[in-house]
Amino acid sequence: MSWAARPAAAAGGGIRGDDAPGRRGPPGPGSGTAVPRAIRYTSGVLPVAAAGLIWLALLGPVIALVTHLSWSAVVSALEAPGALDPLVVSVTSGAVTLGVLLLLGTPLAWMLARGALPFPRVWEAGVLCSLLLPPLVIGLLLIFMVGPFTPIGELLGVLHLSATNTFLALVIAEVYESAPYYVLGAQAAFSEVDPRIEQQAALLGDRPRRVFRRVTLPLAAPGLAMALAVAWARAMGAFGAVIIIAYHPFGIPLQIYTTLQETGLASALPFALVLLVVALPLPLAAYTWSARARGRRRG
Amino acid sequence: MLEADVEVDRREFTVRAAIVVAPGERLALFGPSGAGKTTMLEVIAGLVRPRRGLVTLQGRVLTSTESPAVAVPPWQRRVGLLRQDPGLFPHLSVRRNLGYAPGADRAGGELAHLAEALGIGELLDAMPARLSGGQAHRVALGRLLLAHCDALLLDEPYSGLDSGLRRGLTELVAELVAARSVPTVLVAHELAEAQAFADRLAVLDVGRLLQAGAPDEVVLQPATRRIAELVGYLGFVPVRPGAGGEMVAGAGSGIVAGIHPERVIPGSQPGRGVVLAGTVAASRPAGAGWETDLQVAGAVATCRLPERPVPAGGRLVVTALRPPCFGPDGAAVTGQAGSVGARQVRA
Repeated sequence: MSWAARPAAAAGGGIRGDDAPGRRGPPGPGSGTAVPRAIRYTSGVLPVAAAGLIWLALLGPVIALVTHLSWSAVVSALEAPGALDPLVVSVTSGAVTLGVLLLLGTPLAWMLARGALPFPRVWEAGVLCSLLLPPLVIGLLLIFMVGPFTPIGELLGVLHLSATNTFLALVIAEVYESAPYYVLGAQAAFSEVDPRIEQQAALLGDRPRRVFRRVTLPLAAPGLAMALAVAWARAMGAFGAVIIIAYHPFGIPLQIYTTLQETGLASALPFALVLLVVALPLPLAAYTWSARARGRRRG
Repeated sequence: MLEADVEVDRREFTVRAAIVVAPGERLALFGPSGAGKTTMLEVIAGLVRPRRGLVTLQGRVLTSTESPAVAVPPWQRRVGLLRQDPGLFPHLSVRRNLGYAPGADRAGGELAHLAEALGIGELLDAMPARLSGGQAHRVALGRLLLAHCDALLLDEPYSGLDSGLRRGLTELVAELVAARSVPTVLVAHELAEAQAFADRLAVLDVGRLLQAGAPDEVVLQPATRRIAELVGYLGFVPVRPGAGGEMVAGAGSGIVAGIHPERVIPGSQPGRGVVLAGTVAASRPAGAGWETDLQVAGAVATCRLPERPVPAGGRLVVTALRPPCFGPDGAAVTGQAGSVGARQVRA
């Protein structure tokens, strides 16, 4: 989306004569067919080969999964008593995680995008912190932060809650593993919205909250959906922090891990499929929806 | 009635200016880039807070730094602002863009009627990305008019468009504004655009209003040499009082005559202005005529001539039609205009 780049694109003949409907200005950086053509002219055989290789390598695991699964193995694995409980745990904890991110992450992303916070670099560093720390280390440190013998842990104890080996612990671990993906993605989505368009809405009589609802949110929605979808995939697959702070209740990643430990590769594969089936639809839907929304906007 | 008397601190200088615009009046703020023109509009729109000032619109106080301090937020000002970027909402159709303002009459005849008047009646269901630059500007203008603003601010809205389209749109705005008797301020750094639109022209430079008046008056009788430079006088030739009291070219008095390239006629006509006899330094085609740099009395005057002049080095005699003259301090010296530059100017 390059709204700022598109105005003043018109050139034309007479006073009214330029206005043939459907006429478009030169495509902006993000739109249309100009970019692929440019790539075609500048790239040679080697870059294309490299691109194809990395693409195949990235897709390889999915191909391996599909070719190594037998239908009967999937059915028998999923029919075992309690086999689907981790699925329920993963989906519910993931949903709660998304709720937390939406509620707490969106305002932060918006303020970061608008430069409304003092010392923005410090705030961004805080967000990046959980992205850059290895999940395993986050899990370890979370024990020292919210474990039973810490001030926060004791406070939770007063409320008859615990942040280790509980559903709450699972949500906390998933929030840590997925939050930076959502906040940074949402920040980028809000940054794409031209503040002058919001200003125009205000001058037309909308108070700030209405501007947010009628202009900012719809314009940022495709990017927000993508950010949320990526966060969902991260939350579904969260493992490093989870295995340390929330070994119970079992989500799908831990189910895969323990099955692998106890009965071997072959019996873990069906659950890998389950994880993919649960984690991927939302990102795919978000991707197609946001691509369509952007296409509509381009006319 | 729109009144603004404000002081705004900017990085390099302070903008200090006062304007009064009557209902239906079109004021053009003219000046070079960075003179503080846009700042004035942003203060009126409530986007920038002045250090000191008072802005009133139809008797409503919009901004006041005197106690009780008032700062009406932009969404309650009913002030429309049109910039070079039409700022259409890309996710809404033309129809929903037009009817965006909370008070706009969406379903009723006004939207359809205005869309017809603007020549965008067949585009109501199109998305903004499909519009040409001229069409997008028509939609942006219609959106402002449907919002029933009490004042209209135009910040060089059409400077990105080609000249024919720009003229058409400028006429359209002038027509619609006159019909609604809304005070309108246009900011422009091109004189022709400002003159084509406005009833009154105010010259702003480095944050100060230098002169205000009818669009032709400011150009023909600039109050200072600086204003003359801003409105297109390209040469300043030393002159002194001649035998009959009229000015003739020649050094010694400290007075210079401002030569506007378009106010020069070939030949010697002493009764109509100052005769300049000099040497051609260079000539080049300009539009349908020629532009010549004439060396005269130690200065260079640029003139537009209808016919190709003698080659460089040749002698040329032209007459500058009643040129404004400026003393060593830069103030105009003929007539009473000379004192205007020193006064506090209100536009």
